[in-house]
Amino acid sequence: MRVFVTVGSTKFDALVQAALSPSVIIALKQKGYTEVVVQCGNSQIDGFDLVVTPAGWRSEQEGTKITVWRFKPTLEEDFNEADLIISHAGSGTILDVLRKGKPLIVIPNPTLADNHQEELAHALSSLGHLKASTTSALAEAIVNLDVSSLSPFPAFDGSRFRQLLDEEMGFAP
Amino acid sequence: MLLPATVLLLVLAVATLRIYSILSPRKRPPARSRQAETCSLAVFLGSGGHSSEALSLMASLDFSRYTPRTYIVSDGDPLSVEKATALELLKARTLSETLRGADSVGEYSILIIPRARRVHQNLLTTPLTALRSLLVSIYHITVSPFLPPFGSRTPVFEVLIFNGPGTCFVLCLAAFLNRFLGLPSPRMIYIESFARVKSLSLTGKLLRPIVDSFVVQWPDVLADGRRGAYYGWLV
Repeated sequence: MRVFVTVGSTKFDALVQAALSPSVIIALKQKGYTEVVVQCGNSQIDGFDLVVTPAGWRSEQEGTKITVWRFKPTLEEDFNEADLIISHAGSGTILDVLRKGKPLIVIPNPTLADNHQEELAHALSSLGHLKASTTSALAEAIVNLDVSSLSPFPAFDGSRFRQLLDEEMGFAP
Repeated sequence: MLLPATVLLLVLAVATLRIYSILSPRKRPPARSRQAETCSLAVFLGSGGHSSEALSLMASLDFSRYTPRTYIVSDGDPLSVEKATALELLKARTLSETLRGADSVGEYSILIIPRARRVHQNLLTTPLTALRSLLVSIYHITVSPFLPPFGSRTPVFEVLIFNGPGTCFVLCLAAFLNRFLGLPSPRMIYIESFARVKSLSLTGKLLRPIVDSFVVQWPDVLADGRRGAYYGWLV
C-alpha cells in the first residue's frame, strides 16, 4: 500500500524530516504501507540519502520504496493512488482528500504565525473525519490509526449556497 | 478662518451621517417576477485556498441564471484564471447537454486588478500599491458603468461575492463608494473561509460591518452574537 505525504505550496521541514525518519517508516511498514511518496515543496532535503531519477529522488529504507519530489501542477493523481495521506493542515488539501474518501492524518504547522490551521484540524478530528497529530507523535498516530473508525466526510452540497444566493437576489425558491 | 473651518466641519458631519446611513445592510432586492430573469455576478478569486473555495461556491450556481459572470483575479495569479476557465468549460458542457440556457454558455470575463499588498511587501510601500489597487477597482466599479455602451442605472454587476484575502477589501471599498454617492452598487456577499473555525479572518473582521450578507461556515465564529449567518458548510 502507498502513503502520500504533502506539505503544500510552501515548506514544512519538520514534516518531511518526520516522514522519512526510521520510526515512521517502520510504523508504516507495520501497517502494511511499503511505498512512500513525498511532495516536499521548498522543504530542506539535504542529509537524506537520495538518488536522482527522472521520477524524483529515490531511496529505500527497511525495504520501503521512497520517492521525493518538490511540486506538480496537480496532486489529484497522487491522492487517487494513495491508500493513506499525511498532510499539512491546509484547508484546500483537507477538503480535496476527505472528498475522495481517503484516510488522512494532518500535521498543523506550528511555525505559522496565525495558526487557525490547528483549529480546523482539531475540529475535523473531533468530528472523526481525520486524525490530527504532530511531527513528534506521527509514528504513534500511524500505529494507532484505525482507518475503519474514521467517519465519512459529507459530499459537497451545492444547494446551500445556491439557495442562499437565490434568496439574496430575489429569485423565488 | 472661521468659515472654512465651519464648512469643513459640516462636510465631515454630512459624510459621517451618510456613511452611517449606508452601513446598515440594504434590503434584499424585490422578488423577481420572471424565473427566467438573469442576474450579473462577480466573484473575487483571492488565490490558493481562497480561490478553490470561491470556485466551489460558483460550481453550485445555475449559470443560465447568473450571467454574465466576472472573475476578479489579482495580477500574478495565473492558477486562479486557469481554474476559473476550467469551471466555465465544465459548466458549458453540462449546460449544453441539458440544452438549457445554451445562450449563456461562455458568457464570462476575467478582470485582473493589481494586488493591494504582496506577501512580505514592505509596510512603507503598501499604501502606494493599495491606492493603485483601489483606483483600478473604482475605475471598474464606479466609473465604467458611465462609459458607453452602458447606461448608468445598473451596477456593473448586481452581486459581488468574495471570501478574502486582502485585495477584496479594496473592491468592497469601491462598491461602498458607489453607495456613498448614491450610484447603483452590487450586493456584497462575504463568505468566511471553511478554515476559520473559531475566529474571523482579518478581512472578515474588516468587512463584517460593510457587506450586505456575512456568512460563516462554523457556528463558533459568530459566538460574539454580532451580525452574520451560518448555514452549515458551503464548500
